[in-house]
Amino acid sequence: MSKLISAALAVGLLAGTATAYADETVRFWYHFDNADNPMSELVAKFEKENPGIKIEAENVPWNSYYDNLYTSIVAGNAPDAAMVKMFAQPRLVEMGALEPIGERIDAWDGKADLQDNLLNLTKASDGKSYYLPIQYVVLYLYYRQDMLEELGLEVPKTCDEFRDVAMKLTRDTDGDGQPDVYGFGFRGGKGGHDHWGSFVLSRNVDFSAGSLTSDAGVAGTQWVVDLFEKDKVFPPSAPNDGFKEVTGAFKAGKTAMTIHHIGSSNGMVEALGDAVSATPVPECGGGHWTSFGDESTAVFSTAENKDAAWKWISFLSTAGNNTEFNKATGQLPVTKTDSEGWTLHEKRFVDATVQSLPFANLLPNAPETSDFVNTVWPVNMQRALTGEITAEQMNAEIDKLYNP
Amino acid sequence: MLTMNEPADRLPGRAALARKVLPYALLSPAVLVTLAIVFFPMIQAAWMSLHDYILWKPKDFTFVGLKNFTAALQDEVFWISLRHTIIWIAVTIPAQLLLGLATALLLNQQFPWRPLARALIIIPWALPSVVIALMWVWIYDANYGILNEFMLRLGLIKASVPWLADPDTALYAIILTLTWQGFPFFAVMILAGLQSIPKSYYEAASLDGAGALRQFWHITLPGISGVLVTAVLLRTIWVANSIDVIYVMTGGGPGYATYTLPLYAFIKARTNLDFGYGSSLAVLFTLMLLGLVIVYLRRAGRSVN
Repeated sequence: MSKLISAALAVGLLAGTATAYADETVRFWYHFDNADNPMSELVAKFEKENPGIKIEAENVPWNSYYDNLYTSIVAGNAPDAAMVKMFAQPRLVEMGALEPIGERIDAWDGKADLQDNLLNLTKASDGKSYYLPIQYVVLYLYYRQDMLEELGLEVPKTCDEFRDVAMKLTRDTDGDGQPDVYGFGFRGGKGGHDHWGSFVLSRNVDFSAGSLTSDAGVAGTQWVVDLFEKDKVFPPSAPNDGFKEVTGAFKAGKTAMTIHHIGSSNGMVEALGDAVSATPVPECGGGHWTSFGDESTAVFSTAENKDAAWKWISFLSTAGNNTEFNKATGQLPVTKTDSEGWTLHEKRFVDATVQSLPFANLLPNAPETSDFVNTVWPVNMQRALTGEITAEQMNAEIDKLYNP
Repeated sequence: MLTMNEPADRLPGRAALARKVLPYALLSPAVLVTLAIVFFPMIQAAWMSLHDYILWKPKDFTFVGLKNFTAALQDEVFWISLRHTIIWIAVTIPAQLLLGLATALLLNQQFPWRPLARALIIIPWALPSVVIALMWVWIYDANYGILNEFMLRLGLIKASVPWLADPDTALYAIILTLTWQGFPFFAVMILAGLQSIPKSYYEAASLDGAGALRQFWHITLPGISGVLVTAVLLRTIWVANSIDVIYVMTGGGPGYATYTLPLYAFIKARTNLDFGYGSSLAVLFTLMLLGLVIVYLRRAGRSVN
């Protein structure tokens, strides 16, 4: 019997030491589309500078990133730190999953080097700071310079011009009686709310009660539906199209315009060279709206070693490292030092981004936004595009989500 | 020491007890594991379905009785999904069965390279669903898809059809994919059944002057009926619950056009994080499927016997 007890004790001790080691490990979740990502280099650099801390960085696929994150939190298996977007913040705060890092940010040397206003944008509605910005993008309009020139068209500045240009760009180039090029690659699947937002939320419409269901709101959605149903300037597959299809069709010359951000610009240039350019999204119904694509990192309240987790995320937002990080994601750095003399993107895309900043917006900082992004917007947009419901019904569904 | 071969009633009291308990003791690890990984989650799902349980409000777990169930019955999407589920099962299973039967009959003939053909036919069944789904997404693609190209060249259609983006065709396009994936299962099962029918039956029948059709009807079909009943039952349960191919191909879209009940339950729970409502959908569907299986077993079992 005494042998058994000592054996159990030994196992217990071993388990104890194992946990002691695990304390020094930071489990970090991130999502990169880029297959050859340099995260391992950043990890190696960090571990060299901070002996005793081990980073376990895990690339979680984007499509189920938040599903996995929320379930892991509830299951008590959350990472210690992770890449996070603003739309998820209200839920994460409600779950008590985030560690406030305001004091750590204030005490941090790198704070002064962060771009102005980013910390304000990422503050939670309870006034605390949980997020440390790591990269950003602004959505703009990609267009085929060569196709516009070929047809003698100007770059569209307003929605009316946009519609006109899109209709002219939609054409049959090989004479078989059906269009080979479509004016605009619309993203009807998950994530396409950014496209819709530029055409609808620009009309002085927001998510408050009765705003989307107003005449202006309905007119915006109707305008999008008409582009597909009547003007036929979107490819027929538009209702289901996601990022891969939209960028793929644009690169292949199947569409002449689309909306995305600088993150895809290097791929676009690789495929199309000088033929592709960018400009801010058109002004619609008297206003201008585009989506601010934020990305931050956060420390989780369940992290065993919060100091180590903070060291790691602040390392990623420090000048130099931030450049390496953005090389992988193709987005823009948050530090002033790295932004100066930024050469990883062609200038015309950086310009379009900067010109779009004054009217770049985030979706409402509310728990409902997750459902809006993941199900309510895509399902209702698809139903509206395929004629199952009207534009008015679609806007009413969104209004109902935010204002039950 | 007592041996296991001695009957229990001849042994003294303690040994008899040990003898009775031992089988249960030996079984218990398997039973415990099954309880833990099958029954416990089932009970938990049923329990959750009676509560308001939204994952991002973990502190709020209120008992609401049958509220989720009444809400489901009044939910438009529930009925849309149910209708799609019925189409999904009612088209896929017979299609797989007929295709599988035809394939099995062909493979049961003598021809060169028969072992190779038998091995190749299993490929769709052996591929991971995600691979199949992605492959068929490309086949159906409106811009580059081979199906559109093929039909355009044959003059069957005038313009490319966005098979997966059109609510009228999306569900059937996925059903075709699933039929392709699942028919080898039937083919292999039926082939095994065919080979268990003695050749002498056919010889006797042809001596009596029975043609190929009558031989098929009176010898082949009865010979494989036991296999068919089991295969149809298994496939019905698998197909009914299968969401992976739909999830990858359309994610349920466009709109609700390819929602089936298990997919709706999955999206409600995993994407909207509404585990209470999602569980109630899953429980409702389980009950329906259970009813279907019971009716099927009673009727099919009787006709086979």
